[in-house]
Formats: sequence, C-alpha cells, structure tokens
Amino acid sequence: MDAVISLFDTGVDLVFSLYTFIIRWLMPLLAFAVLLRSILPLWQDRKHKKTWAFLYLVNGDRIPVNNWENLIGRSKLADIVINLPFISRNHAVLTFHDRHWQITDLGSKGGVLVNGEKADKKTAVNFGDTITLAGLDMTLLPPDDEREAVENNDEENSYSFSHATSSITFLLVIVFQVLGALQICISRGTGKNAAVPAAFLVFILAECIHYVLMRRRSKKSFVLELLGYFLCGFSLLIVASAAPGALYKQLAAIIAGMVVYTILEAVIADLGRAQKIKYVFMAVAAVLMLLNLTIGETYFGSKNWINLGFITFQPMELVKVAFVLAGTATLDRLLTTRNMTAFIAFAGACFVTLALIRDFGTAVVFFGAFVVISFMYSGDIRTLFFVVSAAAFGGFAAVSFMPYIAARFAAWGNVWQYADTSGYQQTRTMIAAASGGLLGVGGGKGNLYRVAAADTDLVFGLLCEEWGLVLALIVVAVIVFFTVHAVFSTKNCRSSFYAIAACGSAAIFLLQTTLNVLGSVDILPLTGVTVPFISNGGTSMITSWGLLALIKSAEW
Amino acid sequence: MKLLSTRTAVLMLLIVLFVLGLAAFNIRYFNSAFAWAHSHANRHYYKNGMLSVRGTVYDRNGDVLLMLDGESIEFNAEKDVRTAVMHVTGDREGSVSTGVLSALKGRLTGWNLFSGAYSFHKKSRSELTLTIDSGLCRAAYREMKGRKGAVGIYNYETGEIICLISSPSFDPQNPPDVEGNPEKYEGVYLNRFLSSAYTPGSIFKLVTAAAALENIPDIENKHYLCEGRIAIGPDSITCLKAHGRVSLQEALAVSCNTFFAGTALELGAETLQKYAEACGFNNSLEVDGIRTAAGKINLKNAVGADLGWAGAGQYTTTANPLNFMAFMGAIAGGGEMVRPRLIADDSSSFFDFKPGKKVLKRETADKLKAMMRNNTITSYGEEKFKDLELCAKSGTAEVGGGKEPHAWFAGFLDRKDCPLAFAVIIENGITSRAAADVAARVLQEAAKALKQGRNL
Ligand SMILES: [Zn+2]
Repeated sequence: MDAVISLFDTGVDLVFSLYTFIIRWLMPLLAFAVLLRSILPLWQDRKHKKTWAFLYLVNGDRIPVNNWENLIGRSKLADIVINLPFISRNHAVLTFHDRHWQITDLGSKGGVLVNGEKADKKTAVNFGDTITLAGLDMTLLPPDDEREAVENNDEENSYSFSHATSSITFLLVIVFQVLGALQICISRGTGKNAAVPAAFLVFILAECIHYVLMRRRSKKSFVLELLGYFLCGFSLLIVASAAPGALYKQLAAIIAGMVVYTILEAVIADLGRAQKIKYVFMAVAAVLMLLNLTIGETYFGSKNWINLGFITFQPMELVKVAFVLAGTATLDRLLTTRNMTAFIAFAGACFVTLALIRDFGTAVVFFGAFVVISFMYSGDIRTLFFVVSAAAFGGFAAVSFMPYIAARFAAWGNVWQYADTSGYQQTRTMIAAASGGLLGVGGGKGNLYRVAAADTDLVFGLLCEEWGLVLALIVVAVIVFFTVHAVFSTKNCRSSFYAIAACGSAAIFLLQTTLNVLGSVDILPLTGVTVPFISNGGTSMITSWGLLALIKSAEW
Repeated sequence: MKLLSTRTAVLMLLIVLFVLGLAAFNIRYFNSAFAWAHSHANRHYYKNGMLSVRGTVYDRNGDVLLMLDGESIEFNAEKDVRTAVMHVTGDREGSVSTGVLSALKGRLTGWNLFSGAYSFHKKSRSELTLTIDSGLCRAAYREMKGRKGAVGIYNYETGEIICLISSPSFDPQNPPDVEGNPEKYEGVYLNRFLSSAYTPGSIFKLVTAAAALENIPDIENKHYLCEGRIAIGPDSITCLKAHGRVSLQEALAVSCNTFFAGTALELGAETLQKYAEACGFNNSLEVDGIRTAAGKINLKNAVGADLGWAGAGQYTTTANPLNFMAFMGAIAGGGEMVRPRLIADDSSSFFDFKPGKKVLKRETADKLKAMMRNNTITSYGEEKFKDLELCAKSGTAEVGGGKEPHAWFAGFLDRKDCPLAFAVIIENGITSRAAADVAARVLQEAAKALKQGRNL
C-alpha cells in the first residue's frame, strides 16, 4: 500500500484517482439507463387512444373520432376512411377547436351539408347534428359516458405508473450530475473554487423545483423535460471544465430557459391562443432581425451578436422559435389554402438576414428546417426537389464566390494537411476524441479547452475527451431521440399546428447537432453552429428550451 | 393525422443521414484513433513536439536504453552503447522512424482504443523490455569500424532479435551536425538492417540451390564442368577462375557462378521466382509492428544471361537483411521460419501467436544446412568460427558504378544451446571476408556472453 501511495503525492490523490476510475464506468451506465428509460415508453404507451366523439352512420355503424383534426375521405391517408366512390379522396376536415366541432369542405365534388344546409366554409357542428358528405348522412355524437369512465380510470393508472418511473429517472439524472460535478471539483482543485459546487447546487435545486411544478400541473409523460435537465447538466459540466468564468452565466441561462419553456408550453397549450401568439413571435423576430442588421456586432467572422450594454445575445437564435411557428397551420387551413406565401416570405427575410450577417452555418440550419416544414405543409415532393436543388445551386454559388465560406470548405477532407492552419480546430477535436477513448480521461482533465470555441463549436471533441466516446454518443442519441419523439407524437397529435411545430423544432435540433458533430470531426465542413442544450451560450440555451416546448406541445 | 405522419418521412431521412455520418466517423475513429492520439499536437503525450510520457526501455539484461521522465529523454549512460542501439531506440527528434521512440511510441504512451490517454495515476510509467543485448550491439557496432552496413542476430527458435545495429550511427544524447556531414552520415536515420535492400550476390545461390534440390532430379549426384565462363547468346557468365568438375555442394562452397547460372536456366524464371518469393523476397516482415523493407525480385523479363546472372544473385534482385536473416533461420529450423521480434515477453504476441511459417521442405532445409556447414569447413575456415558449428554463405555483390562490391555474410549456428541466425552486410566491403570477420567476432562474443550466463 505504501508503494501505491508513494506514486501519489498524498492519500487524498489516491482517493481522487479511485473516484475518477469508478465514475468513468458509472456515469456512462447511468446515462445509458436514463436514455433507455426514456426511449422504452415511446413504444409501450402509444397504443392508448382517446376517442373524442363518434360518427354514427345510418346503418348503425359508428366511427370513432380520435383526433382534434380529422381528415375524412377515400384516401388511405385519411383519418376517417370512407371507401365509397362518390366520396372525394380528401373530402372534408372535421376539427375540434376551442371546444367546438367544425367541419370544412375541401372542395369536394359531392359537397358537405350540415343539417341539410350547404357548408362551403368552416361550419360549426354540434353534437346531434347531421353531416352529409355527398349524400352520405352521419350524426356526430359524444362518446358514451361509460366508456369514458373506464378510460379515465385506465389513464389514472398509467399516469401514476409514469409518475413513478419518471421520478426514478429524475433521480438517476441528479446522481449523474452530482457525480460529474464532484469529478470537476476534484480535477480542478478542491476548495480553491466554490463556483462549481455552488452552481450545481443551484442548478439541481432549480430542476427539482421545475420538476415538482410541472408534475403538479400536467399529467403528461415527462421524458422530454428529464432529458432536457440531463443535457443542461452536461452543459454545466462542460462550462465548468472549459470556461469556468462563464459558469454562472450558463446557470442563469438554464434557469431562464426553464422559465421560457414553462411559459411557452402553457401559452401554446391552447390552440386558439397559439395561433394568435404565432404572429406576435413573427413580429418580434422581424424586429430582432432588423436590430441585428443595424446594431449587430461581429465576432469570429459573423455579425450575429447584439450588445445592449447589460446583456449580449444572438438574435438569430431566438428567431428560430418564430421561424418554426411561422410554418405552422391547422389541418383545415393546410388543406384548403395550400398557400405558403407568408411562411416563404418570412423564411426569405431570415435567409437574407443570415446572408448579410454572414452566418452560413445557421443559414443551413434554417434551410433544413424550411425543407422539413414546407414538406409537412404541402407534402409535395416535386416542390421539395425543386427547392433543394435550387438551394444546392445557391450554396454552390455561395461557396464559389464568397471567400470566407470557400476558406472553410478548402480544408474539408484534408484537415491533417492543414493541421496548424485552417484544419486546426478539426484536428484538435479528433486528437481530443482519440485521447478520450471510450470512457474519457476524466472530467476536467482534457486539453481541448485550450482551443478556441472548444465549448461551443468543438463541444463534441470536449465531450469525447473528458467523458468518453460512449457518453458523447449517448448525448447525441438524446438529441436524435427528440426528433424521433416529434415523429412519433405526430401520429396522435391534437393538431397539425403542433405536429409541424414539433417537427420543425426537431429538425433544427437535429441539423445543428449534425453540422456541429460531423463538422468538428471533418465528415462535413466546419460551419460553427452549437449543439442544442450542450454548447456554452445563453441565447442558444434559452432557444433550445423554447424549441423543446414546441416538441412537447405535440405530445398527447 | 395520418397525412402529416407520412410526411415526417423527411425528418426520418435526416435522422438516417446523420446516423450514417456518425457511423462514418466511428469507422474512421476505430481505424485512425491511434494516429490521431499520437499526433505531435496531442498535449497528453507531447510537449513542444517531444514525447513527454514517463517510461523506461530496457534491454534483455535490464540495462536501461531509454529513460523518459515527462520532461526529457535520456539514453544509456555509455556513449558507445547508446550509439550502437540508436537505431533501435530512435532519437529525440523522431528522425529514425523505425526506432522505439517513433515506431513503438504506442507502447510508451500506453494508449489504447478503450482507455484512450487515461491513466489511473498521474505519474504512471510504462516499462518496455527489448530482446536486444546492448553489450552485443556495442561489440557489433565497434566491429563495423565506421563502415556502412548492418548486423543482425536472432534466435531462430524464439524469434528474439539479440543484436541489431546499423552503421553509421551517432550519439543520440549529443546529436552531431548530420546535415553538415552528408558523406559521413549518409542515410544515418535509416536502420539499414530493417529498411534497406541490397543486391544479394552469392548469398542468393541458396535460393537457387533450394529450388534445384526440389525441382531437378538427382541434382546432388550430378557433376558439372566449370571452365570459368559460359556463353549464353551474345553474353557470357564468368567465374573468378575455372572451378573444374563441381557438384552442387562444391559449387556452393566455391561460389561457382556458371554452375548456378546453368541451374537457373534449367529451372526457368517462373520456378526461381516462386522459390525466391517463398524464401521471403517481395515480402516485408513486421517486427512488433515495425515494417521492414522488402527485397525485390522480378524475373518476368529475365531470359538468357540475365536469368543466369539472376541465379547467381546478380540481377535487379535485392535482398533486405532482416528478411534474409529470417530465411537463414528458416533453414536452421528445418524449413520453418519463426518471425523475428524485438519486444521481450510480449503479452500481445501471445494472442496473435502465429506458428512458424513453412518456407522450405524439411529435407531441403536439412540438405542446405549440410551444404552450408560444408561451406564453413572447406571455404571460410573453421578455426575462425571455432566451436560455433557455423553454417553460412558469403556473398560479394557487384554494385556497378565504379564502386566496390558489397560484402554479405549470412547463416546460423547449428547448436541447440545457441540457436542463432544472422546476417551481416558491409557496403562496399570489397570482399565477403570483411563481413565474415565481423560475423566471426560478434558470434564469438554472443557465444561468450552465453557462457557467462547472460540469457540470450
Ligand atoms: Zn565456376
């Protein structure tokens, strides 16, 4: 034992080494458990369907109405399929907005009547009313009480179950964060700096309060918030290690993000309110873009900062939320107007702003989200193809004509040849990743923090080096899970408004992560975007929570 | 919501693309992480471009060859030793790419895919024991007397390389002005034993003999009349003198060119090529991860006198000293070649243990062994190699360009208690005797060391 201790300066060092040795294994296991516990319910709980009403046919058959927005028609993709030759493929949309049922004719040949009166535009339908689709009569009636009671009972059980599971997952998340914080304290010298334990204490307290508040308010599953906490904890670990000076700022951003999330989630829960608030967001975004163009300041080649003296922020980050909302529409509107002019105009304004402030990476993210949203909106593959090829051409032109972008592409694929010039950041990221192995060298013991933007653009390398490839991939998997979650919740979504908002937000998360991770390791050109929730940066953090609220809104 | 649900396919497509990109990164990671981690920019391992890990490299007797303490790299205390083993240890600047400091840096850093650069305690040291005997290396280097060339000896039963020197060398503790003395330090960063390939000259006759033994019926009892020269087409093959009536064994002992030229023509280019490749030509070996240069042979266009000269080792063919030494080991080992290695008690070689590679038929190997023993007795002088049971072949390789020929001497000791195979090459050594003299003294030294109880 003496011989062992003599290798260390003191016995304390030995204890610290042992601690790092153990958590290198323990933390990936914990993170994996958190991920697994979050993923599994996605496959289990989805069979549960709530019936809002029934459509009774003349022959006595009844059709359950399971969504707030139901496409009725002959098409296989209709929610209520009526396979009769005189029914149009997309005949009508039956919606439940603001506690009222309404039906909208989608320009069908046979027409729509409500109680025998022609319903050209959106027409209210009350329980007991007769809807006639091209001569086919059906009556809208509420679900029978008995059934509902049984179902509610079911729900109570399943919700209390999910309460228990989510509190265990939450506990795992907290344990993970405590272990990580202790590791940083150890490797950055104990006692000398109280900022790390203080920041983590406040953070854990904040997430506990948020957890209790949210749980009390909502009976929905709690997976997204828990994973949000998990990622935020990781961003604190990264900031504590790479930029300790920004620790409190990041902590404040996380708390602000949680507040934004809570408010936004509550505000848009009501569809009518959400549709109105969308225009407020777009107006604010327009102001932010104008401000950025006029008083924006340039850092690292992009003029994407605003300095208000007491606070600096990146307006285009905040615009992302408005951008996603701008593309949303309820199903009836989506199928009647098919008019995307407002969204395209808004997107155009965003692209012009991004081009003027020379933020190429963010432009790619916006464009990707634009493609996803416009496809969700129109479902038109030809338009999609046209848009993508036009963008590819535009991108090509941008790369060829703009030297500052061309420089970034020049090193792409050959970063080791330019290891100390234009490939500096990528090679250092790969060196860091290789140094970390699968389990990392231990939090706070890396070297990548010496490289500029290690905690933002190169954060994947920092994750790999200090916490290992396994944990880095789990973090990436969590963000991919957000996207899968958005896809899954679209199936049973209340409104296409939320479905588009969720998928658009998920697209932004996914594209940012793709560009950041693959860019920093030279699979893609380095474009300098952040990883949502993970990278150091206040505006990015708040935006991430905002977008998460939109993903959450689609959940039922 | 079915309609919108189908339209989320575009999002799924983005996920698939991202996952594919991640897979591409992971494949690159698993293939290249070693190289990334050992980039000179990695602060875990390098400071100002110099290896900054802690570790010690020992020779087989526990003598320190290299001492790394994180700040500096120290070599053996004795100048002659560190000069002799410089090509094995490498230099501080990493100019010797086959040295431990470059080629085996992974052993010093301890990096692996699983743990990366993690170490349990801050001051962890790596320990590496090599198979070489530094005293023997010093002796061999002294025997070279500044001439350019290389000496290598290995145990053909265990594969351990006990002597590996390349001349010229320099003191890595106090590196000289190499660029200022291009003549003196020509190719000094090259380990000539591992990374060079020379015209083999007469030592190649062993390959021709092996092919003849297996392909020409009753070759051992045939006799041939050497008149000192034979004409093949417009060209001719010559011997130093007319050797008269010679058998295969006698032809090998006197190194009769015309005999082996005739044999090569009888065998044909294809057969000779096949045997040369089996004996290690056109093949590089890996010594604990250090790749050797390959000797080259290409007889595709060799006809007439060219093929004849090729049979006598004088064509475009080249031989790498280490590969040829391994071929000697194969003859000694009854046709089976044990791969030479440099790292002692290597746990990793336990896992990728490969049985000896079959190079020759056992009886062919034994016949060659007997003939090589006869070479020593009748041609090289048994008194010089007293008690060594030496089996060998000398070679004088004409290099043209008005330069003196290279001197080769290669073979093995047919002794159970001292199973050593060796190769010596002296550039422009004039006669093969020069190489034989070096071999004699170094092998005697090795035998003496063995008697003294140094575990060879
Ligand atoms: Zn002759």
